[in-house]
Amino acid sequence: MIALSTVLISFVGAMVCGLMPPDSHRRVRWVALLTAVLGLTMAFLCALEYQGTGFEDEFSSTWIPWIGVSFITGYDGISLPLLLVTGLVAVSGVLFTWNLDHRANQFYAFYFALIGGVYGVFLSLDLFLLFVFYEIAIVPKYFLIAIWGGDKREYAAMKLVMYSFGGSALVLLGMLALYFGSGLNTFGLEQLMSADFSGAFQAVVFPILFLGFAILAGMWPFHTWAPTGHAAAPTAASMLLAGVVMKLGAYGCLRIAVGLLPEGAVVWAPIIAIFAVVNIIYGALVALRQEDFKFVIGYSSVSHMGFVLLGIATLNLTGMTGAVLQMFSHGVIGALLFAMVGTVIYSRTKTRMFDELHRLIDRMPGIAWVFIIVGLASMGLPGFSGFVSELYVLLGAWESLSGWIVALAGLGVLATFGYTLVKIHEAFFQRVAEDSGNNIGVEQPDYPPMTLPEKMGVGLLLGASILIGICPWLLTNHISGSLQLLIDRMAN
Amino acid sequence: MDYQAIFYALLPDLIVVVALFIALGIDYGYLRKSSLANRSVRALQISSVGLFVGMVLLVLQMKGSLPMDYAQLLAATHGQLALSPGTLALKCLLFSMGLAVLPLAARHMVTRHVSEYFALLLLATLGMGFMVTSRNLLGAFVALELVSLSLYALTVLHQTSRTSAEAALKYLTYGGVSSAFLLFGISYLFGLTGTLDISKTIPMSEALTGAPMLVSVAYLFILVGLGFKVAVAPFHLWSPDVYQSAPTPVAAWIASGSKIAGVVLLLVLLIPVSTLSANTTIIPMLAVLAVLSMAVGNLGALRQTNLKRLLAYSAIANAGYLLVAVLAFSEEGRAAAIYYAVVYAIATLGTFAVVSVFGDRLGREAQIDDFRGFWKNRPGLSMALLIFILSLAGIPPLAGFVGKFYLFYAAIQSQPQISYWSEGLYWLVALALVFSVVALYYYMKVLKAVFVSEDIAESREDSIGWPSSVVILILSLITLVLGVWPGPLIEYIRGCLIF
Repeated sequence: MIALSTVLISFVGAMVCGLMPPDSHRRVRWVALLTAVLGLTMAFLCALEYQGTGFEDEFSSTWIPWIGVSFITGYDGISLPLLLVTGLVAVSGVLFTWNLDHRANQFYAFYFALIGGVYGVFLSLDLFLLFVFYEIAIVPKYFLIAIWGGDKREYAAMKLVMYSFGGSALVLLGMLALYFGSGLNTFGLEQLMSADFSGAFQAVVFPILFLGFAILAGMWPFHTWAPTGHAAAPTAASMLLAGVVMKLGAYGCLRIAVGLLPEGAVVWAPIIAIFAVVNIIYGALVALRQEDFKFVIGYSSVSHMGFVLLGIATLNLTGMTGAVLQMFSHGVIGALLFAMVGTVIYSRTKTRMFDELHRLIDRMPGIAWVFIIVGLASMGLPGFSGFVSELYVLLGAWESLSGWIVALAGLGVLATFGYTLVKIHEAFFQRVAEDSGNNIGVEQPDYPPMTLPEKMGVGLLLGASILIGICPWLLTNHISGSLQLLIDRMAN
Repeated sequence: MDYQAIFYALLPDLIVVVALFIALGIDYGYLRKSSLANRSVRALQISSVGLFVGMVLLVLQMKGSLPMDYAQLLAATHGQLALSPGTLALKCLLFSMGLAVLPLAARHMVTRHVSEYFALLLLATLGMGFMVTSRNLLGAFVALELVSLSLYALTVLHQTSRTSAEAALKYLTYGGVSSAFLLFGISYLFGLTGTLDISKTIPMSEALTGAPMLVSVAYLFILVGLGFKVAVAPFHLWSPDVYQSAPTPVAAWIASGSKIAGVVLLLVLLIPVSTLSANTTIIPMLAVLAVLSMAVGNLGALRQTNLKRLLAYSAIANAGYLLVAVLAFSEEGRAAAIYYAVVYAIATLGTFAVVSVFGDRLGREAQIDDFRGFWKNRPGLSMALLIFILSLAGIPPLAGFVGKFYLFYAAIQSQPQISYWSEGLYWLVALALVFSVVALYYYMKVLKAVFVSEDIAESREDSIGWPSSVVILILSLITLVLGVWPGPLIEYIRGCLIF
């Protein structure tokens, strides 16, 4: 029940926030912080309690037995890092939105409805239940972006919702096929894992399920919702989108599509690998061309998610461990990047366009250095979690995929270095041309330093990345333990 | 024939008829000089009491207080009274939904003919009750006509509106023609089988196997006729105009109650052919109707700016989804269709209730834009609207999601193993899923107006009155509960599927 309490806490928090009076944003934010911290604590307790490799802390109850639906939750080494990252991002999201005063009660109601849905997906051990949580997470995203977002928010929100819902329609179809294909009359994940699907069935149903989930994971060419959605969303929402929601898709790809249809996965893995590499390179190159800081981060998310997909496509222990670790790593770092750009920098400069950002290093030295460190983490330098996860993925790809794929992915890593350094230069060190009307030469006062909540948020997320970068075994032991079970089943 | 038993069986309906006449009598006699508000309150009270007592009696009948058992009563009335727990529950549901419509009608009087308004609503409710309990072709037809004629008259009651008259005329013309089609189809069935009692399934099926061609023709006409009544494409042309121009409570009643009754009648009429080889020709007909309804409904709704018209198109689309389960021709399919019809009707009724308490006071048609900033003025009503619309869109954890899932489940279950894409109903389910993604767009458009906009289109501070508030609250709670805990209702429907 510890694990399930994350869901309950979030939904209760959403309700409490929603029912608070509209003008009470000072109290609402404390309620929100409490809810998020409680959720993180529970996720953390799960991590401490977890011992074995299989599903633990299972809770099961009948729900709609006439159509084979039960309410089963539990977690294993694959869902554990994702629970943690959800908790971390939820807490830091509240911290970075500390000064929100516009319809704050509704904001947090939608925010925690989304988070509850996300926790629920990671915990569901029944396909129907998973799908329910998956869809619960869609609608709040729309409102978070459409109400509190920036430019083109209504367009971006609608686009994101349509893509998500389109993906989930595919998932639903695949789910029904699994149910009837297995002949077991159950949506239970563990029973379906033992089902015997024919090779032809797997080859047909796998792409439906995988594509359905991969749309939410930002797979090229279905990634276009991601940059626009991320850029238009308010900071906390874009942190959740990049940090957690895209992981929902990747988690579904791994747990449902690959986990239940391994033979189908073998058939389609080379094609997925190609798409993944396109993700990595395309995302990085497009990021290089962006004028808006937030779009750079948006496309970098697409690029980083490519590593997750590549890791899944390797279908071996090393690569898939890397994929799960990359989900954690990018969840933390991606969220932090959005927080830095969307709140820490934007709230001070009031612009995110590179041609208006004039040598920020002079005016916000502290923030600039923090951002540079975060940028290094995003590039995947040793000492940060990204390094470990990308290394795992590349090693895994080397083991089971063609050398060309690894070479191209390596190029993608280089491109990541490229755009990160270039964009850091443009934002912090570059002098803006005289004619931009930006009062060059006039001595301008320093921007205020980071506030306490901002520092705490940065500390939390950056700390998590460094901790896992230095001690990756904290997570990889659990991840590979549970993945080994999955791979053993595939071998049979 | 045991007239006493039949009297007891019909007691709920008699009570309603009595209430109807009392309402008329008091309105024309005692309250002749009274104010409009006073008259509408009295009429509301009398008709509500009538319907409520009817409901109580229905519940008692469900508990087993009928003097004759199901089969005897069915035989004694030639299939006109099929009072199983299932049909009684449906009838009771229709009565209670009628009870929910009444306060909405009383809130905003569109006519001086107060008592006729209520009397017609009660008559329509009675007709729907008979539609779901009749297993006699002619009896069902008469019940359907009772509903239709009441609804034509109700549509035209919006006396200040010219479009109301136009819509009613359209409704009457289309409805009349469709009745003729239906009757023609029924006459073929009668000619083929020599009986009007459709509960005698086995002899009927045997009689029908002999003449597959004629059966196809009969069902073609029946589907055209009923298709008009429940507004499936391409027989939907009347419905957007009627939804828009009829008094909102009447539109609500057309969209909810008459939909349930129509779906049940369709399921009943399809029973004789459910295992017949003749349904090889009926299945394509239904499939065409389903695909066209989903396409016309969803694509048509995209362009609407008027909320009631949007709901009309969404009703067409939902009828299309529903046909997907009907096509399964299985017990599960019937259960799914009924479950969906019920949850759909509840959510639609709720949406119309919100439109009614808010929109009718605008003094003009409520556009989607009129709901801008609704969250600021009416947080409670906005939440209710959120629940209803998301349920219509099929988002969990609301009833509409379970309903839609169950539809698709039942459809695929009819033939789960396929070797080619066009076998079974996978392709139809896939199509329905595509269209439900499209549908989300226009539902979100409504919610965008309600929740996203900061400016307020219309500022109204007056209270909406407790009866309407209670109705909306109960409907939204049901929508939520049936989504989170649908098991008992699904079990109940599956358990008493006696047709």
